[in-house]
Amino acid sequence: MKTILAALAAIVLAGLFATGPALAAGTNLIFVSNEKSNEVIVFDPNFNKVKSIATSHRPRDMHFNKAHTLLYVACGDDDTIDVIDVAKLAVIKSIPTGPSPEMFVLSGDEKSFYVSDEEDSRIEKIDIDSGTSVQDVPTGAEPEGVILSEDGKTLYATSEVADMVHVIDTATGAVTKNIVVGTRPRRFTMTPDGKELWVSCELSSEVDVIDRATNTVTDQLTFVPPGFREEDVTPVGMTMTKDGSKMILTLGRSNHIAIVDTKSRKVLAYVLVGKRAWGVDLSADEKTAIVTNGLSDDITVVDMQSMKPIKSIPAGRTPHSVVIDD
Amino acid sequence: MTRGLISALLTGAALAAFAATGSAEAKVKLPAASTNPALANAPAQAVKVGYLGLTNDPRNAADLAYTDIQLAPPDDPITGAQMGFADEAIVASGNGYTITMDAQKAADIADLVAKVKVMAAGGERFIILDLPDDLVDQLAAQTKDLPVTLVNASAHADFLRDRCYPNLLHTAASDRMLEDALVQYLKTRNWNKVLVLVGSLPRDKAIADSFKASAARLRLQIVDTRTFTLSRTPDSQENNDALLVTGGTDYDVVFVADSEGEYARYLPYATQLPRPVVGSSGLVAAEWHWSWDRDGATQVTSRFLKATDRRREMTGTDWSTWMAAKAIADAYGRAPDVSDPSKIDQYLRSDDLKLDGAKGYSLNFRQWDGQLRQPLVLSTDNAVIASPPLPGFLHQTNDLDTLGEDEPEHKCQ
Repeated sequence: MKTILAALAAIVLAGLFATGPALAAGTNLIFVSNEKSNEVIVFDPNFNKVKSIATSHRPRDMHFNKAHTLLYVACGDDDTIDVIDVAKLAVIKSIPTGPSPEMFVLSGDEKSFYVSDEEDSRIEKIDIDSGTSVQDVPTGAEPEGVILSEDGKTLYATSEVADMVHVIDTATGAVTKNIVVGTRPRRFTMTPDGKELWVSCELSSEVDVIDRATNTVTDQLTFVPPGFREEDVTPVGMTMTKDGSKMILTLGRSNHIAIVDTKSRKVLAYVLVGKRAWGVDLSADEKTAIVTNGLSDDITVVDMQSMKPIKSIPAGRTPHSVVIDD
Repeated sequence: MTRGLISALLTGAALAAFAATGSAEAKVKLPAASTNPALANAPAQAVKVGYLGLTNDPRNAADLAYTDIQLAPPDDPITGAQMGFADEAIVASGNGYTITMDAQKAADIADLVAKVKVMAAGGERFIILDLPDDLVDQLAAQTKDLPVTLVNASAHADFLRDRCYPNLLHTAASDRMLEDALVQYLKTRNWNKVLVLVGSLPRDKAIADSFKASAARLRLQIVDTRTFTLSRTPDSQENNDALLVTGGTDYDVVFVADSEGEYARYLPYATQLPRPVVGSSGLVAAEWHWSWDRDGATQVTSRFLKATDRRREMTGTDWSTWMAAKAIADAYGRAPDVSDPSKIDQYLRSDDLKLDGAKGYSLNFRQWDGQLRQPLVLSTDNAVIASPPLPGFLHQTNDLDTLGEDEPEHKCQ
């Protein structure tokens, strides 16, 4: 069976490469982490399942290295970050972390990553080669989203329990400022000009916009899809187009995503997806957004032009994050 | 201008815009907490929050059952409160506060009242209570003229919510909320015919009454109400033998009201007809169960387990003391006006409060009875089967208000 799968995968991959210019650098494969079935499922660009990569337990956040040869996966129940070889589609290494790693970010030189240890109230900097923890930043309880500044000198992290964004000086590992945001802050996205940091606040149903120059919240945006109430809306995942014109936000329990015009802060569309919309990623050509639905165990493909859902495809149990190799 | 007013105005404006254009827009609100000038350079201020328990609380008596079988948790739920203050320390510091807990135990009502007076005189504005129903009642009545808000974290009786004490809030769910949660589930499963079994204690009767009110609201049929007893004397056999107690009639499900739990724990699989048991055993409604694994619950449960040196799994009451501490600390840290302790109390009671209870909803207190609105869990020994409010049970303002006595039916008495 395995060999058949591998053979199929090879054919599919060959097919992919053969189609030429439309597919740029990467393999265009779609990777979906599944918290409860302990696997990263790989789909081809036509959404056929290519492979299930067995990982350590509870895989969640995922990031490629710059060359897209490696995919890192934080595995919360085994306290590791697994390393997937993108060419082989297999886990080649597991790097130990503190308890319950959830979200992480790679350093600019790709030699280390900063990972939030959900059960230990700290951010750890882990050296990838040696697999050792080289820095510890105490945070509020349940740290989650992490993002680095362009120069790598500042790290921003949310604490879900303390309801704040910690501004951390990476040189000293010290928290230089706490920015109070909405309830249960989750994830970040940054505008391409680096001026604004957007943070999703799950339980206060809002996205707060932080002005990075002053480290203050300048806007609070709330999202209410038609037929829902504010309290039904639990924003979590975010991504932005490369030009920064549009932001895509998953709205959790309200089973929609919002496509937002970042300048005017207006919602261009609410798009119905699956149950508990969680993670989201955009294809390189930005024609397609893919959303993971944690409670319906599937992913939804959204056409960005028409801003309509195209189809939903079964994934593993409790899909968490999605990244596209392109 | 208060935060509430601003958001109300803007919400109104946004709604008007929505009506005019028909387009769905994000509401842009002015930032509230983050521009609070108090946050910038707030002076450090140490405050104490009281915590009152009962010496030898009968509810924690470990020897209720024979041979050391524990029906109640092995120690009191104070760890929940400690964890709540620790979790929120950084939030409270937003307004410059550091909170320490002043935990004490008292032996009777006179002692409790005396302790509240001392706490109030020492500047404690909030006191968390882990006390049985009647003592909460008496204490709230006898201290209602003091500038103190009591937060009831473990008494479930409905009558406490109907007293409308201005100085009393509740993070423990009311009996009615717990029963509404069960009844929603029975209704979704179409288990409409219920046999009610009730013990001889006043608490048992109160729980059964609450269930019946709830069943009446959702049109369940109570086929019979029977009394059980623990006594095995021949003349009490009809009320002791599970086959006899549950025989002679047909039903979809058995509801058992047993506040001690000693009878109820033998009932599942022992009924005359092969029917599920709910209430005090089988499927049980509570504020929390350790097996709840959504909405960040796992982290809370493992923090709690660590905080108790793995002595106990987190229970509903542990959740309620945790929530009481979180609510108070959150109010200290986020109240837009801290010029006076009563302003912090005002914020705590306002709709601006948005608490995270790791149950997926934002929580705050009901204006009409001081009850924390919250989702509940229905669980077996090791799994959460459902978490009401269930889909389809809708409410005109907040679906959480399908659990518990709603504003129109609430009467102060």
